Amino acid sequence: MTKRFGEITALDGVNLSIEDGEYVCVLGPTGAGKTTFLRIVAGLLEPDEGEIYIDGKCVNNLPPEARDTVYMFQQYALFPHMTVWQNVSYGPEIKDWNREKVEQLTAEILEMVRLAERRDAYPHELSGGMQQRVALGRGIASGARILLLDEPLGALDARLRVGLRTQLRQLVKDQGLTAIHVTHDQEEALMIADRVVVLRNGRIEQTGTPHEVYSRPNSIFVASFVGGANFVEGTIIGSSDAGSVMEVLGGLQIKVAVSDVGAGEKAVLAFRREDTWVGEEEVAGSNNLPGVIVSATFIGDSMEYEIRLENGVSIVSKILMSDAFKAYTEGQRVVASFPPEKGHVFPYPVMGLLKEVEAI
Amino acid sequence: MIQRMTRSINPSRLVVWATLIGLIVLVLLPTFYLISYVFLKWGDVWVEVFENPIIGDENWRQILKVLFFSFRLSLSAVAFDLLFGVPLAYVLARKQFPGKGLLEDLITLPLVIPTSGFGFATLITWTSVAGIGGFLGMNTGVIPLDAVVPIINVPLIVFIVHVALTFPYIVRTLQTKIQSIDTTYETASRTLGANPLTTFRNVLLPLVLPGIFSGAVLAFARSLGETGATLIVAGVSSTASIAIVRWTAEFKLATAAFMGSLLVIIAWALILPVERYMGREKRSFKTSYRLPFSLIKRVMRLERYASEKLTRIKDFAPIFVLVLTVIVPIIVVANSVISYWSADPYTGKVQGGVVYQLFGPANYFNTLVKASLTSIIVALVSTYVSTCIAIPLSFIIARRWYGGFIRSILKVPLIVPTSSLGLSVLLLWGSNGLNLVGSGIWLIILTHIAFSVPVIVESILASYEGSDIQMYEDSARTLGATAYNAIETVSLPLIKGGVLTGFILSFAHSLGETGATYIVMGRDITVPALVVNMVEALAIPAALFTSTYLIVLSMILLTIIRFTTRR
Amino acid sequence: MPEVKLVNVTKRYGKIVANDGVTLTLKDGEYVSVIGPSGCGKSTLIKNIAGIITPDEGEIYFDGRRVNELPIENRGIGYVFQNIALFPHMSVWGNVTYGPRVRGLSPEEMRPLAIEMLEMIKVNERSDAYPNELSSGTQQKTAVARALTSRAELLLLDEPLGALDVKVRAALRSELKRLVKDLKLTALHVTHDQEEALSISDRVVVMKMGRIVEEGAPIDLYTHPKNLFTANFVGEANFLAGEVVKASGKNVLVELEEGPEIRAEASDQRMGDRVVTAFRPEFVNVETNGVNRLKGRVVDVLYSGSTVRIRVKLGKGSIVVAKQMLHSEAATIHVGDDITLSIPPQRILVYPYPEGGLEKELALE
Repeated sequence: MTKRFGEITALDGVNLSIEDGEYVCVLGPTGAGKTTFLRIVAGLLEPDEGEIYIDGKCVNNLPPEARDTVYMFQQYALFPHMTVWQNVSYGPEIKDWNREKVEQLTAEILEMVRLAERRDAYPHELSGGMQQRVALGRGIASGARILLLDEPLGALDARLRVGLRTQLRQLVKDQGLTAIHVTHDQEEALMIADRVVVLRNGRIEQTGTPHEVYSRPNSIFVASFVGGANFVEGTIIGSSDAGSVMEVLGGLQIKVAVSDVGAGEKAVLAFRREDTWVGEEEVAGSNNLPGVIVSATFIGDSMEYEIRLENGVSIVSKILMSDAFKAYTEGQRVVASFPPEKGHVFPYPVMGLLKEVEAI
Repeated sequence: MIQRMTRSINPSRLVVWATLIGLIVLVLLPTFYLISYVFLKWGDVWVEVFENPIIGDENWRQILKVLFFSFRLSLSAVAFDLLFGVPLAYVLARKQFPGKGLLEDLITLPLVIPTSGFGFATLITWTSVAGIGGFLGMNTGVIPLDAVVPIINVPLIVFIVHVALTFPYIVRTLQTKIQSIDTTYETASRTLGANPLTTFRNVLLPLVLPGIFSGAVLAFARSLGETGATLIVAGVSSTASIAIVRWTAEFKLATAAFMGSLLVIIAWALILPVERYMGREKRSFKTSYRLPFSLIKRVMRLERYASEKLTRIKDFAPIFVLVLTVIVPIIVVANSVISYWSADPYTGKVQGGVVYQLFGPANYFNTLVKASLTSIIVALVSTYVSTCIAIPLSFIIARRWYGGFIRSILKVPLIVPTSSLGLSVLLLWGSNGLNLVGSGIWLIILTHIAFSVPVIVESILASYEGSDIQMYEDSARTLGATAYNAIETVSLPLIKGGVLTGFILSFAHSLGETGATYIVMGRDITVPALVVNMVEALAIPAALFTSTYLIVLSMILLTIIRFTTRR
Repeated sequence: MPEVKLVNVTKRYGKIVANDGVTLTLKDGEYVSVIGPSGCGKSTLIKNIAGIITPDEGEIYFDGRRVNELPIENRGIGYVFQNIALFPHMSVWGNVTYGPRVRGLSPEEMRPLAIEMLEMIKVNERSDAYPNELSSGTQQKTAVARALTSRAELLLLDEPLGALDVKVRAALRSELKRLVKDLKLTALHVTHDQEEALSISDRVVVMKMGRIVEEGAPIDLYTHPKNLFTANFVGEANFLAGEVVKASGKNVLVELEEGPEIRAEASDQRMGDRVVTAFRPEFVNVETNGVNRLKGRVVDVLYSGSTVRIRVKLGKGSIVVAKQMLHSEAATIHVGDDITLSIPPQRILVYPYPEGGLEKELALE
């Protein structure tokens, strides 16, 4: 099964193909065109240009009901005048399956989403999590092979959301469905997806497995949006096969991964907060940047240290508080270090660094 | 942008054309025909209105006189409505209190009440000894018939009736508007240090201003076009609508048509700018603070004082007005029927009793039964046909790019004075025009369809906009429903409440309509028209009975509305 | 910078008790977060303090003064709403000066106040913009500025970051904290996001069904939650039921229903007690020679950036999750591998087995 997008100007020339049974997350900030993308696939919007293929067949002119896709709205769109049972059996009923088959399937699905006991309840009587499961069950019951999920966990409490991520993926995989899941939560995307598509201003910024997108971002935007990163401005002063060297403010020289940026050019160094280690001593083979802890923020499973380096630049280190974790206090002198291969260098952006990384 | 690209379900071409043709022929043509009639017969109009060989331009002076009278009346009634309607709408939209449902029903009552019956009830209550006067032990009514509201020079009783009948338009429109504004804005204002009144002035008022405008326009138009009740209470003075009825009856058709088209144009000139303004300005009003600081400070001090001390007055004064103008007349008229049942309580004459008049030589009972039958057939047929047009029309309005345009034209029959509408229908279909339908029940039905379609459409659209139908429909379609499946299983059930409410509202409207009916009915008299005839024939007890009968009927309809809108 | 005290505050909506005898003190200058699942009464609590609703029972004091009957506008609070609620018909400047204006300050008096606030949140360049022209993050910053221009000293934040993108949320979090500390405000922040609460506040209050279940400093609450509900709500955790087979001093030995016996540190359990052990995924090590060994098969390996979650199914079907840094040896583990996990005894929490059953206690809705 393949879907391919030709030139779409509403988005901006999005080309993407998705394999049968794949779980794809489309990740991007508000206004990136994620929902537009999803609605075009569903047939709820018409692309101005370009083609959409499902199983090699162009579906541009097919109405939504004939596309083998089911769209799950962020607000679930459960029919308010129908019970849980009627909602779930809506798809099969409307396709005129025989009664027995419809009843059997509906019962099975309700069992699967653990709502068999609430079959006669109306949507407004259910909690947010339950509504989400009804919507999911309704989608699966319709028999469509492609699940289009628009922020499926967005309306739920944070803690609930985390727990449901794995359940959602499990359900999709168990049913052998293909899923396109739209979200602005990078952690959610990285955890659930087989493949992540990063969207920005209607364009695909990067596509790849979660691991690829996270560890080898191909732009400053991706580095900043997917997981946090530290950004340092500087100039490349030399490159070899083993890696490049960059000079940053204060004359500090930093060894980084091989880059295309030529010597003497202005560049931006990005390295993950999570790849930045904090210790009292230097780490052999790493870049070692001495500095002072400015603040320590506890965020649950990790600690975030803000460190002011000797050249005045502030960087952040995020460290998982596992058994081996050692705490540092504000004002303490430490060495921040990261391995050269974790330092990614990008040409200095035309619009300035801030434009690429600011969240708000 | 997204809206334009949305691939929504569109009614098929056939349905669209059928609906649009129905709309044009049955609703729009009658509404606008009057104007073209005046143009076509301009020669006749000129002679009759301005250069009458006998009376010269007396007719023109009459037109000017009644127009000015109508404007004075309508403007002052709306001003009074606003004064009391705005606080009442606020209370209804924002506060919970026991009896709120009942109060809402009371406000809706004048919308469904047959106006001639109500007009008569008001007349008895205030100007007759059988009303409050008698109750207070006086020998006359509380208000002399010739009492006049100072400054505007309008009979007090006419003013009262107009206030009672237009009040709900302001309150209902504004209440809905206020309810659509998130309460968080007001809470935010309070947490920032503003007392409730300052909050109302600074935050809510600018946000609901479009609602106030459209409510005021509706009320104004209703007042301008009101005929049934005014016919009964006006006495010697005449409003524009009544003038049309009288002139038509006197066969001064050209004068009536000229006046009617003037009213249509005025109504149109009123509604279109407001429609445009509301459609365009999404951000509503921007408040400017150019006022001198000392003045604002004084206003705020006043508001702080009022917020603390005057809460009760603010809440209860409107309710008091409502009770006085709506409830008391209903109670009085019902009570009078009882006391006049077998004989006139003052003279003791059997001839002055309800029973004698109904079953005696005048035999009003038979007439009443016949009129009821006519009324019900008219209401049923016209509402049914209108609903059949209104449902597809609502979908067209919501889905097609020209929907907004249709919606604003549809407001016109809603606010055109019904007597103008009746005249227009008469001139179009009747013997003076196409000569297809003669005066009588079918012409009444045609007239009623013209104003019923907009009523039902508005009601359907209200429930359409309240629920996210587009999303549910999209959802149904990706689940495998075809366009028609989706409409049948999802959209129609979701707007069912709106359709029902619209149906009953329009049924009630049709049942109570007087002005237009009076012009086109010929010999097929309806119940509200009968009341007018009874009053003119001075058959007061019979009129009392018929008014009560109409009011009871409308209350039953109201109860049904209540059950369909609240589960 | 007032001290806020709630004594036995109760609020009912029909049969539902939204706040059930809540007693809480916010110290001068303290940043307190209230967390809990939907419907736990946290919004009711903050509305009680603001005066948006009046409690049915109990007292609320600001600096020792009872304020139950004081109308909202006289409480001197700044309130930030989840849906932002900037007045749509006013510009940023109009919004930010609204407070001083309705309190009767002259334009000359309020000008410096507003400028100072706008500079503080760095939206001074956009003061003529209307709310719908701003990004939601900037809108919420403006709303915070609006709440503070009248020099309110108590800032109430009702899910202030809930309507924003995850990324924006994280950025605003630190700005909010800085602002509150710089202005020396007392702040109460309601959220359902435990990470937000832990990172932003001095103290976290956990609510459930209208009552406060536990309160404490973020790190204490996370590492040593006093009850099962908190352990589950404040962060991810593994839960395994078992029975105490040996208890001596601080050391207990628990025989898990899964089979193995594990050693933990707990003081108030006795022999024979039915218990639930809880431990956070990041404390689960993938190694064969540690203590408290659990054997199982890897069913899923989930990456989330720099960390990897390894879901392991134990012999009788319970799932245990281990969270490790990506560059540790965990990177070599694959689905289907048989592995051994170990958990340091001091990282294991022991709770009495809940009466309503474990599943019900852990349900989040």
